[in-house]
Amino acid sequence: MNDERFFTRLAVKTDAMQGTGERAPARLKSRLYSALVAEQAASGPLLSLPATKAAGRPLCVFEHLLQVVPAGERVTSMNPCRVCHARVLAEHFESPPIYWPHCPYVAFRRG
Amino acid sequence: MQSDTPSGAESVVSPAVPPGDALASEEGALLAAVLKKDRKATAEFVSRYADPVYGYVSQRLAPRADLTEDLVQEVFLVALGKLDTFAGQSSVLGWLLGIARHKVEDLYRARLREPEPLSAVEHASRPGPVALPDFDERIDRARAQEKTRRILERLPEAYGLALLWRYWEKRSTKEMAAQTGKTEKAMERLLSRARAHFRRLWEGELGP
Repeated sequence: MNDERFFTRLAVKTDAMQGTGERAPARLKSRLYSALVAEQAASGPLLSLPATKAAGRPLCVFEHLLQVVPAGERVTSMNPCRVCHARVLAEHFESPPIYWPHCPYVAFRRG
Repeated sequence: MQSDTPSGAESVVSPAVPPGDALASEEGALLAAVLKKDRKATAEFVSRYADPVYGYVSQRLAPRADLTEDLVQEVFLVALGKLDTFAGQSSVLGWLLGIARHKVEDLYRARLREPEPLSAVEHASRPGPVALPDFDERIDRARAQEKTRRILERLPEAYGLALLWRYWEKRSTKEMAAQTGKTEKAMERLLSRARAHFRRLWEGELGP
């Protein structure tokens, strides 16, 4: 069998475009999320927490606290994950010890 | 006119998941929410697409696995910056894989422009077997993927990247030569050595 045919057939058989079943590490997903939200925040305020909740997306306990504090739109559009220890743990450990509901970093670990 | 093709792309590669109406509208809603800077939608965007993009990049960078995570992050940041140009003519995954493909090819170009280390050339001068058996189609896909990855990781970097570019990204020798500033003959020689080395490893001549 010539080399061209061998490699052409091998590439078809193993092409990652058809899926590899491989999963991205939870650490990487956490870093991706942090980087994307930081990028979004850099160009202006994020969607406020009350609006996020109204869109049907549940908040974590810290976001919920920020949302109920009468501090105005500016505060509820901030990104509390930036100063949350869950983010730091999730960006460095595959199974970080964080458990509260509706935290995206917890979801990455489970997903 | 808006385009789903990343700049310089010939075409967006076909994703494994076909874009149906329901999927397209669900994806459209998710992207609209990300554009509105809904942080939870951004988390869902990562959850949904990080695995297939990582799988693709990881295979294409097998000889440089250390660069995989940084490149995946670049893909997502580029995608976020171009999200408002996505017109829904392909699936979101196809679009992301198109961006990833360009990032991967940028890396191939840069790495293959560098001269090959002497050790790789010497290694390739070892005589190869006269005849090699057929590619065994019965080998299952997962095993073939795993074996291919193991071998690519053991090849000199330039060999692995050249083979991936030529056969997995389906670039012609002429295109590869033009993009790396090498002659077509030099690229063919590199590929020839790479193929010989790969096949010796595939047949177990140089180890398990």
